[in-house]
Amino acid sequence: MRDIYIIGTGISPWLGFSEQVFTNFGTVAIDNALKDADIEWKQIQAIMAGIFVWGGNAGHLSGQYHESIFGETGVPVINVWNACATGIAALQMAYNSVASGQTDTALAFGADVSPKGFFAAKTDDAVQDRDVIRWKMVGMPNPVYWALECKKRMAKYGTTEEDLALVKVVMSEYGSKNPGARFKRAYTLEEVLASPYVVDPLRLYMICPVATGAAAVIVTADRKLISRADKPVKINAVTMGSAMYGDPTIRIGVVSCPAVPEAPLLSESYSASRQCYEKAGIGPEDVEYFELPDNSSWHYLAYLECCGFCEEGGAEKMLRDGETKIDGRLPTNLSGGFSSHGEAVAAQALWQVIECANQLRGRCGERQVQKKIKVAMAQTYGLMGNSGTTILTI
Amino acid sequence: MGNVSNMVARIPGLIDWWSTGEVRLIGAKCNSCNTYFFPKDHHQHRPGCSREGVEEVLLPNKGKLVSYTIMRYTPPPPFKFEQSIVPYGVGLVEFENERIQVAGIITDTDLKSLKLGMKMETVTLRMFTNDEKQDVVTWAFRAVK
Repeated sequence: MRDIYIIGTGISPWLGFSEQVFTNFGTVAIDNALKDADIEWKQIQAIMAGIFVWGGNAGHLSGQYHESIFGETGVPVINVWNACATGIAALQMAYNSVASGQTDTALAFGADVSPKGFFAAKTDDAVQDRDVIRWKMVGMPNPVYWALECKKRMAKYGTTEEDLALVKVVMSEYGSKNPGARFKRAYTLEEVLASPYVVDPLRLYMICPVATGAAAVIVTADRKLISRADKPVKINAVTMGSAMYGDPTIRIGVVSCPAVPEAPLLSESYSASRQCYEKAGIGPEDVEYFELPDNSSWHYLAYLECCGFCEEGGAEKMLRDGETKIDGRLPTNLSGGFSSHGEAVAAQALWQVIECANQLRGRCGERQVQKKIKVAMAQTYGLMGNSGTTILTI
Repeated sequence: MGNVSNMVARIPGLIDWWSTGEVRLIGAKCNSCNTYFFPKDHHQHRPGCSREGVEEVLLPNKGKLVSYTIMRYTPPPPFKFEQSIVPYGVGLVEFENERIQVAGIITDTDLKSLKLGMKMETVTLRMFTNDEKQDVVTWAFRAVK
């Protein structure tokens, strides 16, 4: 297979709710990626777009919308939706398009303007849309699921409220140093513990909000473009995973789960990460920088274990010992994470990859890992059992 | 629970309060891979299962509380209650023999009394009255006294 490199990345900085059309943000991200790659729009040979689900049918064709803005060139445009892993689905299709030789240079992007408040049901039809049941019958916004898992974790491993608060303290310390972050304030443990409960034991500052944002990545196997690029980053593997039978996680969108585990918790992410380790020939012991999906403080702890960076029940110790901090064994989420940005569903998985690429390219200023790093990994989380992992090297 | 004969589930096919004298959730069991499902149509077979012999079953009325949270804000529509119930508990109740855990609203108002491992029973919970003057209900869980 050909070696495939990221030569350009771009984002439109994360915001709260916006009245503007989502393409305004996508256009900024794509423009920035083209500039970073130092190529022209006409050199893009395929467009893999994250679907914008909040816009109805027209908005679903996010790729076509953006292509028309930059100028229609007749190249393949594919729109894809995998919930929070949407961006990795787009990236994997761009990667595969180039790897197979169908194209040499491809764009993956996602742009999102989330509705206000909790994500809600999109239809009223409980027959065709099983997601309706949790809303009509139980009243279960996404954080309820995270709280149910968090409560189980606390009972099993003795996780404390201070541990959950410490995640936010660490995230906000780095978010405050990230010019692209939406929340740039560093919080103390006391402040986090004084924030109101939303879904006990999770408090307001332990849960990420919804957001507006866009991210774009340009990949290529074209030697000329790679040699011209500013610190190109190799994609060693990009993989998607789905859930495995017997996964005990109470998965967003459903109202039941197995009582007897026959698969790991968050099995879709376990699967994606193990596939990625195998394909890349790189294991968790080799990873020097990590972006994980901190939708809540529970996710932060669960994902350190799910991806194999410590044993089950060991994440609290990693956190307390500072192993995930900028000078630790595994610097994690020096972006400030979703905690400092919020979820822009179609874009966020690509944004995680970009944060990893920025660390490898030494572009992170105050929050740049001090030692020279060569291997980074981005891990996503998506509802209804889908996930993606990307391993990058420089 | 109000007048049982004047009760209607907000979504049909999930709750049975007429067959056994107890409130029971309507699930399904696959006799090939021995997996229980709830709701009954949301099949999650073991890979390689022939998927033959799926039958409707009623889950037991009683189970064990294995996790819970307290919801402090009102969810957006289509969540609907005549009067605000916030804050309310959401629990995960395990039906041990069926090897399944089901989520539902907890009707107990003393939320401090909730403890993991508590025995819970399935009940109906009135949400609002419809245009036909029927009580529209969901399933919920309540600590067994």
